[in-house]
Amino acid sequence: MAKVKLSGAKIVVEELKDEGVEVAFGIPGGVLLDLYDVIYKQEALRHILMRHEQCAAHAADGYARVSGRTGVCIATSGPGATNLVTGLANANMDSAPVVALTGQVVTSAIGTNAFQEASTFTITMPVTKHNFLVKRTEDLPKVIHNAFYIASTGRKGVVLIDLPKDVLSDVAEVDLHPKETFAGYKPNIKPNKVQTKKTAEVLANAERPLILAGGGIISSDASEELRSLAELLGAGVVTTLMGKGAIPENHPLCLGMAGMHGHLYANRAINECDALLALGTRFSDRLTAWQLDQFAPDATLIHVDIDAAEINKNMPVDIPIVGDVKLALYDILKWLEKKQKLGGKSVWLQRIKEMHSACEECIHDLRRAGSSLSDMFIKELSIILDDDAIVTTEVGQCQMFAAHYYMTKKPRTFITSGGLGTMGFGFPAAIGAKVAAPDKKVVDIAGDGSFLMTCQDLATCVESDIPVVVCILDNRYLGMVRQWQELFFDKKYSHTGLGLTPDFVKLAEAFGCYGERVEKPEDLEGALNNAFESGKPAVIDMIVGKDDKILPMIPPGGGIIGMIGTERCKHV
Amino acid sequence: MQTRIISLLVEDHPGVLTRMSGMFTMRGINITSLTVSPCETDGLSRMTVAIKGTESELEKVRKQIGNLIEVVKVVDLRADGAIIRDLCLLKVHTKDSDTRLEVMLLAESYGAKIMDATLDSVIIELTEEPGKIDRFVDLMQHFGVKQLFRTGLTAIGRD
Ligand SMILES: Cc1ncc(C[n+]2csc(CCOP(=O)(O)OP(=O)(O)O)c2C)c(N)n1
Ligand SMILES: [Mg+2]
Repeated sequence: MAKVKLSGAKIVVEELKDEGVEVAFGIPGGVLLDLYDVIYKQEALRHILMRHEQCAAHAADGYARVSGRTGVCIATSGPGATNLVTGLANANMDSAPVVALTGQVVTSAIGTNAFQEASTFTITMPVTKHNFLVKRTEDLPKVIHNAFYIASTGRKGVVLIDLPKDVLSDVAEVDLHPKETFAGYKPNIKPNKVQTKKTAEVLANAERPLILAGGGIISSDASEELRSLAELLGAGVVTTLMGKGAIPENHPLCLGMAGMHGHLYANRAINECDALLALGTRFSDRLTAWQLDQFAPDATLIHVDIDAAEINKNMPVDIPIVGDVKLALYDILKWLEKKQKLGGKSVWLQRIKEMHSACEECIHDLRRAGSSLSDMFIKELSIILDDDAIVTTEVGQCQMFAAHYYMTKKPRTFITSGGLGTMGFGFPAAIGAKVAAPDKKVVDIAGDGSFLMTCQDLATCVESDIPVVVCILDNRYLGMVRQWQELFFDKKYSHTGLGLTPDFVKLAEAFGCYGERVEKPEDLEGALNNAFESGKPAVIDMIVGKDDKILPMIPPGGGIIGMIGTERCKHV
Repeated sequence: MQTRIISLLVEDHPGVLTRMSGMFTMRGINITSLTVSPCETDGLSRMTVAIKGTESELEKVRKQIGNLIEVVKVVDLRADGAIIRDLCLLKVHTKDSDTRLEVMLLAESYGAKIMDATLDSVIIELTEEPGKIDRFVDLMQHFGVKQLFRTGLTAIGRD
């Protein structure tokens, strides 16, 4: 390709378009004037003006998780970049592909404490998969190409590019769209055949096989392979929080979500199985809890992950497989299809059936004795929304009520902050989700505390016409912390009460959104219909009890079969 | 606990050392020695890292290092009988001429060089494998080590 002479800002925009970027979430600033001058009225690159950089990062993150494509966010130097940090850490922890562009002071001023200077490169190093500080305009094409390549391959993650003002304004002669990459970056994706064969044999001979599906299934789009394998084997399937939606949760082989706030029988199944195939999960402490001897004690443990550093990190395994889970599943299926007869598992299938219906009945039973308003609202939502609707969540009880009671049927429709647990994530993530899937309904299941952390971006929704619906489980408390104070700190409710402000309906209206308050779960459907029909972004304030608790749970220090608060569970 | 030496080829980019040391800090890994130097290929540098830990900790470190984008090659120098060197400069107190003579004789027997001498001290250079340097330094402590400098390890595999 012939060399072209362009300003740095033009090179950036040309390369973004070449990478297929259609939308970026950002806020401009002094050092980004050159870039925003080029972005002005771009047809092919939509820019959405956010009201806080943290939201720009979360929106790019939500966009990425829903679309499977790399999300892009932009922030100016100094405070713009530091405001991004939470959002970057969040996306990187959950392996969401995001490229962040930040402005930087002119190269000659770097290190002088110039106006709005922050060392973005060093600040963001530990919260990104990789980052760049570009010193010369002519380096831009290669850097941008590599940023997208690194963010979207291997274990996906965040790549940040720090762009000094002069690098953007200077003109350079460059070859656009280079293809060269880093010599040392070879995202290992082909699983080892010997290991997949061994896995197939273990699974075929197992009497009680179980599959643990993590977020890797969703990011590698391997839901179909997962389902085929489960059905072929007669294996149960449990998911992690990040894996929610990897298989329809009403599938007869699915036992729901495992872990600290998981479903009782998902955890039991992990304890009872004799072969556990863990796919694209990192065995986080919220999954395994603390008594590792209760975690699959009788099982041959097989772990497939794209990141070699995750194997044997948190959990010692018997058969490690490094590679893309989709490819590994394909290989395992091929080995198994060659087998004539797959072991007699009727006893296990009967057990799975029993466990599946025990949890599912509870999730579907709207007026179950002892239900709290919080779980009833979520059950209602689960019934009202169609299978394609996208749910995002904030963090706290609201998140765990959603994870526990919202029945997810499809991948990429349940978007939550898993690793970092970031309050304020759900709403801006919903903005990104709606931009990625404008034809789908997008609902943020929020907590009152979380929503207040990022609610200023209601302005973005109104101005850019992004009609998401925020459903607040309004308990006027930092409920999850309160729950722990109630259960483990003698009911000393230290600094968890949020008082009476704001009036969320008026808050919505002040921004030009639709707002409605509901006090009874049976009124939710009407309110939601009003919200969707208004065509506006909306806030639905669902009044719930401050004493509502998300149970059962594994108490701190406990193990996977040591759940407390199981009194209301059906025991099978 | 064992010490392992990992030799790396890394892209010669600004910040690559920060990234490497940041990763060690982030993962709670203590390194005994880290050296960076040019190597035979333009655009790449060689890093030699010595780390103490259990077998499984060391395995984790190795994988985390391999995950860094700018790391081109990781060689574990534990297995093959690598040649390992450290350079040590030390200033030893010599209170009288007898001591000076004794220090110089010991230095000679270790293959160390006398770089400078004054009436009350000598400066000695010793390039050796680290264990031998440790022993020499211990010996010199007996006379009084005023200053000690070590460069950290560098190592090369035999094949
Ligand atoms: C940014 C951030 N700050 C603090 C916390 C700690 N924290 C976890 S849950 C929680 C309470 C969340 O309150 P709310 O959003 O009202 O949800 P609820 O638990 O009441 O449903 C807090 C403070 C966090 N996860 N994130
Ligand atoms: Mg609350």
